[in-house]
Amino acid sequence: MVVNLSARSENLTFPALGEWSYALREPSGGGFSCSAKSIAVAIYGVPAVAEERVFIGGYNGRAYALNASARSQGQEFPQTRENEWFYPKVGGALGSIVGSPVMGDDAIYVTSADGKVYCLEKDFGDKRWNSTILSEKLWSTPGVEGDSVYLTTFEGHLYALSAEDGKVTWNFTTKSGIGFVSSPLVYGGTLFAGTFDSRLYAVKVGADEPLWEFPAGNCFWSTPVAGNGTVYAGCLDGRVYAIDADNGTELWSFDTGSPVVVSPLLSGDLLIAISESGAIYFLKTAASVDSRLVSEVSINVSVQAAPCVQDGIVYVRGQDNVLYAVDINRGEVAWRLPLSGE
Amino acid sequence: MANPWDLIILNPMLNGLIALSAVLFNSFGLAIIVLTVIVRLILLPLTLKQLHSTRILQTMQPKIQELQKKFGKNQRKLQQEMMKLYKEAGVNPLGCIWPMLIQFPVWIALYQSIMRALATTPESLLDLFHHLYSAEIIARAIPLNSHFLWLNLGLPDSTLILAVIVGGSMWVQQKMVTAPSLEPRQQSMNSMMLLMMPFMFALFTLMFPSGLALFWAVSNVIGIGIQYKVTGWGYLRRRAQEASPKQE
Repeated sequence: MVVNLSARSENLTFPALGEWSYALREPSGGGFSCSAKSIAVAIYGVPAVAEERVFIGGYNGRAYALNASARSQGQEFPQTRENEWFYPKVGGALGSIVGSPVMGDDAIYVTSADGKVYCLEKDFGDKRWNSTILSEKLWSTPGVEGDSVYLTTFEGHLYALSAEDGKVTWNFTTKSGIGFVSSPLVYGGTLFAGTFDSRLYAVKVGADEPLWEFPAGNCFWSTPVAGNGTVYAGCLDGRVYAIDADNGTELWSFDTGSPVVVSPLLSGDLLIAISESGAIYFLKTAASVDSRLVSEVSINVSVQAAPCVQDGIVYVRGQDNVLYAVDINRGEVAWRLPLSGE
Repeated sequence: MANPWDLIILNPMLNGLIALSAVLFNSFGLAIIVLTVIVRLILLPLTLKQLHSTRILQTMQPKIQELQKKFGKNQRKLQQEMMKLYKEAGVNPLGCIWPMLIQFPVWIALYQSIMRALATTPESLLDLFHHLYSAEIIARAIPLNSHFLWLNLGLPDSTLILAVIVGGSMWVQQKMVTAPSLEPRQQSMNSMMLLMMPFMFALFTLMFPSGLALFWAVSNVIGIGIQYKVTGWGYLRRRAQEASPKQE
C-alpha cells in the first residue's frame, strides 16, 4: 500500500490522490482442489523506494519492482515499459526472501534463503551476479557501503562482498561459531550485529578479532542504529542500550518492560524506542540527563514491523494490521489507517 | 510472564530438545528420535499399565462375544452382563484410557516443542526466543540444522516414504489391539477406524513439517515394540490365523 500523508492527515477515504494498493500473488497448486488458485505473497522486509518505483522482496522467493504510475492506474503487472519487473523471470523462484532489498547506485541487493546474495539491475531486473552459497539460510538484510556489501549469517559469519562481482573480500567468524541473529549496521568502518548468545558484536571491517562484545539479557533481534559515536540497540530483554561505538561501554539503558523487536529510530536529539507491547518511548540521547524519558505513547497493540520517522511523525504498523501515525510533539496518535490485506 | 504450561512443561522440553541437538552432532533429526525414546521410557509405567488393562480385556473377548451372541438384541441386559463380567475379572474397561489421557499433555508438549524449535519463519524464530534458556549450548544450536537423511525437517516430505511409514506403523499398532466384534455395526466401525486414523496421519505427514512426522513414526515403532513385548502380535496375528483355514 502506498499512502499520501496529507490525505491521511485529512482523513480522506483510501485511496485518495497518489494512493494505491496492489496485491502480489503467486500461483498455487490449489492443494486438494483441482482449480488453479493464487495465494497472497508474504512480505517481511522493508521496501526500498527510488523515484517512482518500489522494490520488494517476497517470501515466495521473488523480487519485484513496482511503478507507482502503473499501479495507481491498475494496469496489469508487470508493465515493462514502466520498468516494472519481477525476478526470476523464468524458472522457479529463489529461496524465500526475508531481508529487505537494499539500493546500491544502480542495482538492488537481495538475500535469499537459498544462502546467496543477488545483485539485480535496477531498471529491468536482470541479474548482474549472485554470490556463492554463504549460509544454509540467509535472512539477513545486506548493509551496503562504498563498493562493499556486508551481511551476517546464522552460522556466525560476517561477510564483505565486492559490489562489483559478488566475490567474498573478507570473512569474520565468531570464536564459538555462534550465529548472528540480526542484520548488520555499518557505521564508521565497523559492523555491529547481535548474536544468538545475547551479545552485540562490533567488528572492524577487515579485522580477525571483534572490537568489542556487549552482553545483554537476551538477543539483539533488530539491527542497531548509530549517531554521534553511539550505537543504540533494542534488545529482547526489554531494554534499549546506548553503547559507545569505540569501546563498547554502556552509556545508558532504558527499560521498556517488554521485548524490543524493532530497531530504534533517531530523530534529532531523540531516540524513539518501541516495545513489542506497543509502547512508544521518546528518549533523550544525551549521555547524562536528569530524566531520560521525554514522553510515551501506547498504541496498545503488538509491534513487530519496522517503523519509520519523518517530519515529526512516527509511523508504526501494529500486528492488528493498522498503520498508526504518532505525532512526536503532541504525544498522541494523529491518525490510523487499516491496511487491507489477506 | 510465562504461563504455567510453558514454564513447567513446554520450556524444559523445548530447551532439552535443542540441547540434545547440540550434543548429537547438531542433528535435529537425531534429537527428535532420542527425545521421543526418552519420553517413551519415562511414560513406560503408564504405557505398561494401559497395555496390561488391554491384555485382560483381550483375554475376556471370547466371554464378551458369548454375551453379545446371547444378549445382542437386548442392549440393556448386555451392558449389565458385561459390567458384571468386568467386575468379576477385577478390571475397569476405562482402565486403559486413564494412562493414555495422562500421557496426552506430554505428547502435546513434545509436538509443540518440535514445531517451535523448527522455527521455519521469522516470526516463529522470534517467538522461540521467548522460550529459550540463557545457556551457551542452546545459543550454539540455534537455528537448528533442519536436514536429516533425505528430509528437510521444517518442510513436508515431498516423497511418500515417510507418509507410508507413519500410516503403516500406525495401522500395525492399532491392528494389534483392535478386537474383532461379532456385532456387525461395531465391527464395521472398528474396521473403518482402523483405516481412517492411519490414513489421516499419512495425509498429515504430507502436509506438516517432516520433523513432526518423524516423531510420529518413531513413536509408533516404539509403541509397536512395547506392545509386542507385552501382548505379542495380538489381533494382528490372530486375524491372519483365522483367515488361513478359510483359504484352504
